[in-house]
Amino acid sequence: MKSDCLINGPITPDVITSLMEKISERTDTGGHSVFLGQVRADYENDKKVKAIDYSAYEGMVTVEVEKIKEIILAEFTEVKSIEIIHSSGIVKAGEISLLVLVSAGHRHHAIMACSKAVELIKKKLPVWKMEIFDDDSHLWK
Amino acid sequence: MEVKVLFFGVLAEVTGTRLKNYYEVKTIGDLKLRIYDDFPEVIHYNFRISLNNEIINNDPNLNNGDEIALMPPFAGG
Repeated sequence: MKSDCLINGPITPDVITSLMEKISERTDTGGHSVFLGQVRADYENDKKVKAIDYSAYEGMVTVEVEKIKEIILAEFTEVKSIEIIHSSGIVKAGEISLLVLVSAGHRHHAIMACSKAVELIKKKLPVWKMEIFDDDSHLWK
Repeated sequence: MEVKVLFFGVLAEVTGTRLKNYYEVKTIGDLKLRIYDDFPEVIHYNFRISLNNEIINNDPNLNNGDEIALMPPFAGG
């Protein structure tokens, strides 16, 4: 079974929409900051990235996401909730592979906390990516 | 005793496996030597080791049922 913070394949508009809809259930927040990470069609030696195959250490991802949330909540007292979703498996160029949503009392804390959460995700989440090129060759990043 | 070793990212590719069980290994240091015996190419890669979901920088004793992961540099997002 996948953990709540990992989703198989791209993070679709439906997933994003359902999170946006949940925002209206709260009345103690005044600012929300969203970060969406997207797969870029980079070029490497004239070959174009057509997709990324993400692999994750599921058990440790769950542990690390909770630690990241604790760090953010301790540092930014106005933050009320944090959602972190990362893709595993194949995500095509142009599709979304990471979503961070931070809800806070006011905008400054929402924006700063979201930025810090993204940096912590980059540093601490045990996720690996294999770029797949248009000629079906691949490269681990 | 038995421990579970997980290989991630490029290490899963170079070893040709994501999971291998090892038996009668006392420490992480012992385990690394066994892994290098089985998969000599692993020594050429940069990786960190976790023990039961915690990254370790020392050489702890292992216990039956431990889960060890060999993890190349993270590349999420």
